[in-house]
Amino acid sequence: MEQKFISNEKVKALTKKLIPDYEIFYPRRQEESWDWARMEADSEFTFEGHRTVLPLKYFFYSPQENLVEKKKDKPRIIFGARGCDTKGLSLLKKIYLEDPEDPHFRKDVLVFSADCTTHHPDCFCTVLGDQPWATENFDLNFSIVENGYLVSVGSDAGAKFLKDHGGFFESARSEQEKSMSSHRTSFEEELKKFNGNKVLDLKDLEGKIEKHSDVFKEYGKTCVSCSSCTNVCSSCFCFFLSEGDENKIRYMDSCQLKSYARVAGGANPREDLIERFKHRFTCKFVYRPQMQGFNGCTGCGRCTAGCQGKIDFQEVLIKVAEAK
Amino acid sequence: MDPYKTINCKVIKVIEETSLIKTFILEPEKKFSFATGQFIQLTMPKIGESPFTPSSSQFAKGPFEVTIMKAGRVTEKLHELKANDTVGIRGPLGTSYPLNEFEGKEVLLLGGGVGMAPLRSLLLTLLDEKDKYEKITLLYGAKNPADIVYKDQFESWKKRGAEICRTVDAADNDWKEKEGVVTCLFDDYSVNPKNGVAVVCGPPIMMKFGTFKLLELGFAPESIYLSMEKNMSCGIGKCGHCGVGKYFACKDGPVFKYSLIKDIEGIWE
Ligand SMILES: Cc1cc2nc3c(=O)[nH]c(=O)nc-3n(C[C@H](O)[C@H](O)[C@H](O)COP(=O)(O)OP(=O)(O)OC[C@H]3O[C@@H](n4cnc5c(N)ncnc54)[C@H](O)[C@@H]3O)c2cc1C
Ligand code: SF4
Ligand code: SF4
Ligand code: SF4
Ligand code: FES
Repeated sequence: MEQKFISNEKVKALTKKLIPDYEIFYPRRQEESWDWARMEADSEFTFEGHRTVLPLKYFFYSPQENLVEKKKDKPRIIFGARGCDTKGLSLLKKIYLEDPEDPHFRKDVLVFSADCTTHHPDCFCTVLGDQPWATENFDLNFSIVENGYLVSVGSDAGAKFLKDHGGFFESARSEQEKSMSSHRTSFEEELKKFNGNKVLDLKDLEGKIEKHSDVFKEYGKTCVSCSSCTNVCSSCFCFFLSEGDENKIRYMDSCQLKSYARVAGGANPREDLIERFKHRFTCKFVYRPQMQGFNGCTGCGRCTAGCQGKIDFQEVLIKVAEAK
Repeated sequence: MDPYKTINCKVIKVIEETSLIKTFILEPEKKFSFATGQFIQLTMPKIGESPFTPSSSQFAKGPFEVTIMKAGRVTEKLHELKANDTVGIRGPLGTSYPLNEFEGKEVLLLGGGVGMAPLRSLLLTLLDEKDKYEKITLLYGAKNPADIVYKDQFESWKKRGAEICRTVDAADNDWKEKEGVVTCLFDDYSVNPKNGVAVVCGPPIMMKFGTFKLLELGFAPESIYLSMEKNMSCGIGKCGHCGVGKYFACKDGPVFKYSLIKDIEGIWE
């Protein structure tokens, strides 16, 4: 696919032009972290940096929502989504959009991703063998090059957008493409090095999780079942329904909560905290790849960053995966 | 189509089965059909929703039946329903009993308590096409004679060609049949595992020992079918609640071949 270039000035002009027709969000820097902010005409932004504190998924559905037809919202554009978040959409789309389709999962969201240029201390996409840039589920991708961005197309909707706004973009030059590749490679190397050059082999994890349940006992000790880890995860999808006035109300839910698997009469197959802690790993690295074809983890490290029990998810995963 | 939206059903009649169990005859406002073994989500508007398996034949036209045990918040409210009230349903959901795999075979239904609900649907469905099956047997156990559901129907099922043995855990003076847990029915009943399939539904403990007994008697894990009851919310494979190992009981089940789930830890819990 042909790549385009857009200058820093033109991106500003483009977003200004888009504001009346779209609800636009971008990652805004807050000291060392990034949060999602609504784009206004005078917003100052850059697509440098790394993943936001909250995941991309909540632009597609809300942590709590009435499942009624909404009054026609503006379509959304999300700038600066990172590779771990776009990858997480694969599982979410599989669950929500297939057999049967959930009509409340938004389909009018354009994802304009951006390559990571820095990382959070908990990021470990490379440890899972993934790259720190979007490889799927993006419409356009923005890679920083001199004075602007190299723009790659990831979908038909992205291609159409480029065509409709052709005046803002120009043909990319080959040295810009080279510069993008070298930025990507050097940042990937940097992150790999930060993570001890590890790439885990997750093939035999099912047996290992059972065999090394002592690892979960050890690390799960400090878990307080707060469910932060699943709430902020780029690919956790669980919810529960309750009755609303018109249709159901959907609330996000978490397998880390004790009530999650309780059945009538009070029996609960996952009464035990350690069982629940272990289940999160089994769900992500065994059940979901076997059944939906995608891992339930993309290495964003949000679960670690948000853990009230200071549990390092990556460390647990490595311990189990590298055990004999 | 919004899979979370319900179809309204009129309650035609409420039948009191036992002190805790009622059967509701429901007439959907829109065309509705199901395959035996599939379930529905039954909604009490503004109160909640719970999964139930229709207990009538899949071939019955018009209204269908569900048999509900009072077990908690939602079922308590459901038990207050009277004729002419309205409830919502979603479905049919999940997998059904694979009738084509039962053809030409001796079909053994092993049930306990309110687990009789899905088995009644299966039994009536099988009896509607009786000639397709070599033999249809129901082995049923209840806690005591008062807890038996569908009390006055067993005779008519026998007349239609089903072989039926019953037991209660604790008999009273009038009880002429067997006494003991459901597996004791195998003492007097000889099975044919080579050309037989068995379907088990009931409380988890009964499912567990029933299944183990069937295996002991020579049934292959592929010939045993279980209806798994798990915590459910969405019923359509999205909310994650009903996990049986890697499977979602609402979508990959509720009817599972035992061979598919036998190695999963904790299936009986
Ligand atoms: C596939 C399937 C088929 C079934 N078929 C039958 C059948 O034919 N007949 C029959 O009698 N039973 C059947 N059951 C069991 C039946 O669904 C349960 O007994 C019923 O759901 C109990 O609901 P309850 O609210 O009365 O019980 P409770 O014990 O109050 O609740 C049961 C579940 O509902 C949720 N819940 C309860 N209270 C709340 C609350 N305040 N907020 C949010 N969630 C709450 C919980 O997650 C809890 O695990 C079936 C179950 C399944 C899975
Ligand atoms: S499990 Fe943790 S690291 Fe993996 S995607 Fe979820 S939040 Fe990110
Ligand atoms: S890890 Fe838990 S909350 Fe996340 S998708 Fe799996 S079961 Fe659901
Ligand atoms: S964030 Fe940490 S403490 Fe909270 S449920 Fe997850 S593992 Fe447990
Ligand atoms: S009940 Fe929601 S996934 Fe099965």
